[in-house]
Amino acid sequence: MFDRLRAFHRPATVAAALRLATAERRAGGRGAFVAGGTDLVVQGDGSLRWVVDLSLLPLRYVRRRGAGGGWTIGSTTTMADLERSAALRRFADGVLCDAAATAGSPQIRNRGTIGGNLANASPACDLAPPLLALDASAVIAGGAAGARKAAGGRRTVALERFFRGPGRPALNGGLLVEIVIPAPPVPRGGRAAWAFQKLGRLQSDIAVVNAAAGVIVGSDCRCRWARIAIGAAGPTPLRARRAEALLVGRPFDRDAAQAAAARAAGETRPVSDVRATADYRREMSRVLVGRALDECLERMGRDPWASW
Amino acid sequence: MGELVIRATVNGAPRRWTVAPGDLLLDVLRREGYWGVKNGCETGECGACAVLLDGEPVNSCLVFAAQADGRRIETVEGVAAGDRLDPVQEAFLDHGGVQCGYCTPAMILVTRALLARTPRPTEDEVREALSGVFCRCTGFKKPVEAVLAAAARLADARPAAPPAGRKPARKAAAR
Ligand SMILES: Cc1cc2nc3c(=O)[nH]c(=O)nc-3n(C[C@H](O)[C@H](O)[C@H](O)COP(=O)(O)OP(=O)(O)OC[C@H]3O[C@@H](n4cnc5c(N)ncnc54)[C@H](O)[C@@H]3O)c2cc1C
Ligand code: FES
Ligand code: FES
Repeated sequence: MFDRLRAFHRPATVAAALRLATAERRAGGRGAFVAGGTDLVVQGDGSLRWVVDLSLLPLRYVRRRGAGGGWTIGSTTTMADLERSAALRRFADGVLCDAAATAGSPQIRNRGTIGGNLANASPACDLAPPLLALDASAVIAGGAAGARKAAGGRRTVALERFFRGPGRPALNGGLLVEIVIPAPPVPRGGRAAWAFQKLGRLQSDIAVVNAAAGVIVGSDCRCRWARIAIGAAGPTPLRARRAEALLVGRPFDRDAAQAAAARAAGETRPVSDVRATADYRREMSRVLVGRALDECLERMGRDPWASW
Repeated sequence: MGELVIRATVNGAPRRWTVAPGDLLLDVLRREGYWGVKNGCETGECGACAVLLDGEPVNSCLVFAAQADGRRIETVEGVAAGDRLDPVQEAFLDHGGVQCGYCTPAMILVTRALLARTPRPTEDEVREALSGVFCRCTGFKKPVEAVLAAAARLADARPAAPPAGRKPARKAAAR
């Protein structure tokens, strides 16, 4: 399948990986980074001439971010690492663990990485909705655009701007180094909850639609902050900003959740393909966002079926 | 750069192979005689090609051979000690967990990885562990029984073993 591949590089540092990729690009010929290979090998691009393997880079970590809270996740951290991370399980209702645990079979999760999931930029990738609901950013090293300007050759791109279209990450040939998650702005006396929902033919399948929600309420039970993110319902994973705005400032209850879910569905731009029609995707976006918000209500200790 | 030399430990024995940069681990293992590694779909779906890489199940059809350099690989050929079957293999035979046998090497390997991490798994954990190996014959009921029986047998044989497995990961299943 990869008969034309003539070079397989295994650098030990980010700098060496970028140097090798730059040298190969200058010499001409198509090539790619590879991490777990669970997207790249399946895509089977026989025209590849070179590969720079990222699996020896020291980027497999989940770390707390200094004093302010928040997290940094290295790009070669696997889905299985995320799924099993005891620290992430306790953060944001374990929404990242839940999403990672649905990404393919156990063997796929032992290889597939967070960096590959995002860099592949599939509109259906399962880590995008929870990361969007956590205001995550991507730290990118090297690449054509902007690298020289930014400090240390690295730039930080909000995840929302990272996805430019199906299969089009804002990398410009750069290397995704890590994902940064800021501390959620939970006020004193307030509460926060997150939830992930996915609809697939099987649980481990590529999503027909997936969604994540995050809600922060003040001590008065009014919503202070809301994030609703939906995948496989447009050219990129998207944030339903108008639905979020509908929640903020009002008491967070089941009526508000259902209204927001309906509005979120209106913000999707789904297509029809082998997995589902556009109409079905739009309707399921409403259902999944509704379930995710209900789950947030439950996690805050409220019965989602009672009005209060 | 044409061919490359990789070194890996396969079933405990050091191996040195010359491979092409584009070779996949599945093809190299079969070329080297590890025919228990089956080729089913070559797209990561069926799990017939599963091997243990540093103890963790992976689909060898999605791993570049070059990525196995310096690592530990286990295939089903390394499971029995000569003619003496491993308790997991015994349990699959005793419980009718084998029919055509195409998925069996992978089933045995993912079971061994599961029991190494979680010596007394729940049925849900067993089903989850087997979920990436497609079986067209048995309907999974008998393999699941076999894994639970193997776990019990191994636990009895090893009374000093630590009691509980890890907590099951909570799943956000589509309802
Ligand atoms: C059977 C099967 C089931 C699957 N199910 C799911 C599922 O349910 N949900 C889901 O979201 N995904 C699923 N996937 C897709 C895939 O497993 C994930 O997207 C995985 O996270 C990809 O990571 P990887 O390390 O294997 O990427 P690779 O295949 O190594 O790389 C993917 C792409 O990203 C680039 N890349 C990788 N890392 C970097 C980096 N650090 N910097 C810059 N570029 C990089 C590569 O050049 C390549 O273009 C499935 C795949 C298979 C084969
Ligand atoms: S042959 Fe590798 S998963 Fe099917
Ligand atoms: S026994 Fe035939 S595929 Fe499983």
